[in-house]
Amino acid sequence: MEAKYTEEVYPKAPDDARTADCEQISNLLDLMIDGEASPEEQRFFNHHIEECISCFENHQKQKLLKGLVTGHLKRVIVPQSLVHSIKAKIQETL
Amino acid sequence: MSEQTGKQLSKEEKDARFEAELLPVLDPLYNFAYRLTLDEDDANDLVQETYLKAYRFFDYFEQGTNAKAWLFRILKNSFINEFRKKSKQPAKVDYSEVEGYYNSEDVEGESGVASTTDMRTESVQDLIGDEVASALNALPVDFRTVIILCDLEGFTYEEMAKILDIPIGTVRSRLHRARNSLKEKLEKYAKSMGYNN
Ligand SMILES: [Zn+2]
Repeated sequence: MEAKYTEEVYPKAPDDARTADCEQISNLLDLMIDGEASPEEQRFFNHHIEECISCFENHQKQKLLKGLVTGHLKRVIVPQSLVHSIKAKIQETL
Repeated sequence: MSEQTGKQLSKEEKDARFEAELLPVLDPLYNFAYRLTLDEDDANDLVQETYLKAYRFFDYFEQGTNAKAWLFRILKNSFINEFRKKSKQPAKVDYSEVEGYYNSEDVEGESGVASTTDMRTESVQDLIGDEVASALNALPVDFRTVIILCDLEGFTYEEMAKILDIPIGTVRSRLHRARNSLKEKLEKYAKSMGYNN
């Protein structure tokens, strides 16, 4: 199931230079930055990026991308009146 | 269903729990609604509708479970089922108006001017935020949604799957594609931040 998923969603890069490991690593990038990788996946990932500069860089970029949203997207301010409107609406529809 | 929650709540209990467990989610919920509709009035209506439904179906909510995820799911369903149809075309919004809470601060200074370095840092922060917001808002709503849920609200893949009614595999692939799109949109900007390709 995992293999099927991988094939469908992440078509093989045409670049022959990419090793099978790098392929797997790129599929793990999101899991890693989102804290969803299993301990085994984390070990595999961390071991690989110690030795593969290109995957290491991809990881940095993906972290940066997430950080742009997490750290820089401003939250909008809830209008003061909203909580009162909600309560009023609930009481009137009872 | 009601067997799960046991006894029927009295109105007082219901109101108290509604207030204690559901209303604290107002801020993230409103932000989610705003990112979906890109319109303040629409976000207002959507949030009100969501809370109204939550109140009506409160007996189905199991105490101690994830109130935030439950409300987000109701809101997302409301958005898809009713709201999306009647809502206008994705409106162009002047984000500086609604998002400028950094700016509102530096108007007050009776002491005069904040130091130049502070102002420069602030405006750089604003620029980044604006850049990210407009890139994000330019994405299709499904892509925007997964990025908001994951990166802004910190939901897990499993929670996202439940909120969106899709398998985890689809959450993963959608998030992956959404990030690629966002990356593309931010490319020009990202280059200056150290991206190479
Ligand atoms: Zn590699």
